[in-house]
Amino acid sequence: MLSPKRTKYRKQHKGRIKGMAKGGTELNFGAYGLKATTPGRVSARQIEAARRAITRHMRRVGKLWIRIFPDVPVSQKPQEVRMGSGKGSPEWWAARVKPGRIMFELDGVSREMAEQAFILAAAKLPVQTRFVTRIGEEG
Amino acid sequence: MSETVNLPAELRDRAGKGTARAARRAGRVPAVIYGAGKDPVSVTIETRLMKRELNRPGFFARLFTIEVGGKKEQVLPRDLQMHPIKEEPLHFDFLRVSKGSTVSVAVPVRFLNEETSPGLKRGGVLNIVRHDVEVDCSPNAIPEHIDVDLSEADIGDSLHISGVKLAKGVTPTISDRDFTIATIVAPSAVKAEAAEEEEGAEAAESTEAAEE
Repeated sequence: MLSPKRTKYRKQHKGRIKGMAKGGTELNFGAYGLKATTPGRVSARQIEAARRAITRHMRRVGKLWIRIFPDVPVSQKPQEVRMGSGKGSPEWWAARVKPGRIMFELDGVSREMAEQAFILAAAKLPVQTRFVTRIGEEG
Repeated sequence: MSETVNLPAELRDRAGKGTARAARRAGRVPAVIYGAGKDPVSVTIETRLMKRELNRPGFFARLFTIEVGGKKEQVLPRDLQMHPIKEEPLHFDFLRVSKGSTVSVAVPVRFLNEETSPGLKRGGVLNIVRHDVEVDCSPNAIPEHIDVDLSEADIGDSLHISGVKLAKGVTPTISDRDFTIATIVAPSAVKAEAAEEEEGAEAAESTEAAEE
């Protein structure tokens, strides 16, 4: 699973995901992409599950790019612990995804295969998504 | 080069987000025309027309004729802003082209003879490094696409710009090196499976470490 090698601080505020993505909204590597249309925190596990779904569907062809990285530590308190006594310990990593963000890109496969792979991947993600292609390749 | 498409446009007397948004609400997309030593002109064009043109291949490598206030101008699209979610065009930049000038344009690459390529027949995968190639040429001689022939490409071969025949007067913008357009790579089924197994083992290790 993806995680940062080292971080400056162990814990981060939860924050809110507001607005739309201002970068990473266009395809830069592949011919097809999976774009988020709602905001959300995508965990490293979810990214890994989506990656596996895509690579298993593609079998031996194509190339995949992952355009999000889980760099936000998410903390949790242990079960049956009373409130207070400080923030819990970091348990997992998440990527903050804003609407419009391209999360995955694919190339070297047919459009039908890419669409099917992204349908499988989207089912593993906590955000609504849309299949996108390069300008001039619609229809 | 294909025929130029006519785009009727209306002058936009005031710039700024208020008028631009009003234009978008009215089904028009704001645009600017600049270059050729003249003052820039703000215009609006019907969104429907622009979407139709965007859906055709090689938008940035096609000349358009924009009619503004009875005057016709030959232009080349230079930039496009899209809405990040709706994927609707928000704004266009057009460059006026004059005779005798040279422009640099990104021309889409077209791959030929994929069916007869020995590398692809043997199960190789076409790995496209560049979907379009930037070339310097006269505005009236912009190629529709750059043809890359795969009929002799085998697994492990790289297709460079030096192996592509370009029309007279068309030169690649990157001239200091022989850059790669595409490669034919071996099928990665075995590699992918090995990597997956390794990552699976790593993940198991990291969860064990986290539990400790």
